[in-house]
Amino acid sequence: MEQRVFEIVAQMASVDPTDINRDSSMDNVETWDSLVAINLVLALEEEFGVRFTDEQINQLSSVRAIMEALQELVGQA
Amino acid sequence: MKFPSLADIQAALNQADLSGLPPLNISVLRNITMEPLEPYLRYLALELGLAAEIKLGGFDTVYQDAVGNPTDLLGPDTDCVLVFLRLEGLSPDLARNFACLDADGLAAEEARIAEHIKAVVEGIRSQSGAMILWHGFEPPVNPALGIYDGQTELGQSAVIARLNDTLRRIMADTPNAYLVDMATCLLRLGAEGFYDQRLWHIGRIPYTRQALQVIAREEFKFIRPLLGRNKKCLVLDCDNTLWGGIIGEDGISGIALGQSHPGSAFRELQQEVVNLFHRGVIIALCSKNNPEDVWEVFDHHPDMVLRREHVAAFRINWQDKAANLRELAQELNIGLDSMVLVDDSEFEVGAVRRLAPQVEVIHLPVPDAVNHRDTLAGCGLFDTLTLSQEDRRRGRMYKAQVQRSSLKTRFQDMADYLDSLAMTAEVRLADPVAIPRLAQQTQKTNQFNLTTRRYSEADIQELAQAPDSDVIYLRLGDRFGDSGIVGTCILRYDQDRAVIDTLLMSCRALGRGCEDLLLHQALTLARQKGCSLAVGQYYATAKNAQVADFFARREFVEQPDTTTGADREFHLDLGREIPRPVVHFKSIASEIGWPKP
Repeated sequence: MEQRVFEIVAQMASVDPTDINRDSSMDNVETWDSLVAINLVLALEEEFGVRFTDEQINQLSSVRAIMEALQELVGQA
Repeated sequence: MKFPSLADIQAALNQADLSGLPPLNISVLRNITMEPLEPYLRYLALELGLAAEIKLGGFDTVYQDAVGNPTDLLGPDTDCVLVFLRLEGLSPDLARNFACLDADGLAAEEARIAEHIKAVVEGIRSQSGAMILWHGFEPPVNPALGIYDGQTELGQSAVIARLNDTLRRIMADTPNAYLVDMATCLLRLGAEGFYDQRLWHIGRIPYTRQALQVIAREEFKFIRPLLGRNKKCLVLDCDNTLWGGIIGEDGISGIALGQSHPGSAFRELQQEVVNLFHRGVIIALCSKNNPEDVWEVFDHHPDMVLRREHVAAFRINWQDKAANLRELAQELNIGLDSMVLVDDSEFEVGAVRRLAPQVEVIHLPVPDAVNHRDTLAGCGLFDTLTLSQEDRRRGRMYKAQVQRSSLKTRFQDMADYLDSLAMTAEVRLADPVAIPRLAQQTQKTNQFNLTTRRYSEADIQELAQAPDSDVIYLRLGDRFGDSGIVGTCILRYDQDRAVIDTLLMSCRALGRGCEDLLLHQALTLARQKGCSLAVGQYYATAKNAQVADFFARREFVEQPDTTTGADREFHLDLGREIPRPVVHFKSIASEIGWPKP
């Protein structure tokens, strides 16, 4: 799952997948702006068949946060 | 509806080489966040081979962008302006505080919105002639007055419907401006699939990703015809597409087509095909069948909705479909890129996508037959910005044109055939050796004989020698041998008139141009004798109806009164050169003279 998250973040931020790792976030990936963040939510929900809460969406600004939220949702399922 | 995922779309966009692609300049005026629409627009543009250049106006600055100081948002290069003026921003009262408004307040608000829309449209038009796609107001999912809302003209649903009517009128009055029906988009997904309240509250994005894709696809249904990229011809497979089963194996009583399941799904698909026909789409068939099997279904199956008269052209054979599609395109005189093939077979779909990639292919797999009508009705590939009376007739017009051109094809084939015969013709004035045969011809020829005058050898002899008449004949040969004398013509000169006393042709020589050559030679001879008028006669018999219009078809003018006692009389002015008929002889030897081309 983590590798696929890296890929999707990279695609939506239009960077190379090797540029994305566990520590990537809106702070250190220049192209990861608020618009990319929204598209990322849409793409991740579609990819993993989950639905983030509005609270979670507001916090999805790093790979770490994404992984946490996904694990929470997938764990519930 | 199965659409590619956003991740797939973004991946495709990241990989695409847009350099060299023509641009599609889209400007977006909006009072909501529409940035997430961008990847879908770019992707759909790429499908058309275009590089979308998307400019977004400021958030909720629609009026300023349109009416205020010109920005670089709108200009001569702009192809399309998308306007999202959502009611939530335009009139929070109507959208959210509806129940608080009284009748006067409602009327005032409706009038204000109409004026606002007009001002924005005029403002856009003052800056650009680009296509305006104005997104209509969405009907309320939970109308403000509850169940009573639907009962009154003053309900929220009625007010919003009226606003959409106003929009429709304004767009109709504005050149190149159209209403995108958001209610239809909403209907396709349902409110739950259409709205994302999380994104609305977080980022003023009202719509789900599915909704964004549906909206973008709806917009491209307008952009396609704007660019002349809408499809013109629907090409249908037969077995398991127009009906369930295989006619060659199941027979006419075994195929699924009718009022009940599973045949009803195929019947409904056919109904949609006929709808498209009446919208001006050319319908063609391309199937691997024995033609007689297919036509048996068309002619004799009681539940066929699609009829022969809807079908402009067909290729029913065992040839590969890509080749058949090329032939159909040629026959219909349209491009492969104007065609859409509908087929159940994965093999055929794959083959056509590879061998004729210009053709759009819709795969309708049999297990999903119940949905095929909607797939075809919703594809939007054939959509047009207007629907004229001519559009409604086009299917028919194409059928007529194809009939004419297949006639031309047959003509062409015939010309090639005649050329291949290497025919030789000899035209001579009657000579002693020929006279017995010429007399015999006048006595025996019944069908291709304009006057059916019977002459003896002595008569012919006399006609040939007299100064006021001539007898000519035509001898035909071809690669298979000599056909001998096949045609005779007798002219009688009466001052400056040349009366065609006899014109006859042996049946075996018909359809090879001999009659036209012989007539040309007779007329040329009459001119040489100083005649200024040729008089053609027709005496009707029980057998010569086929030549009743022979002269009329060759520029002779029928006379209201006959001067010679014939049933019909035709005149041709010999004052000008007799045009050389189109004939296919390898060589012509003529005593009278045959003009070089």
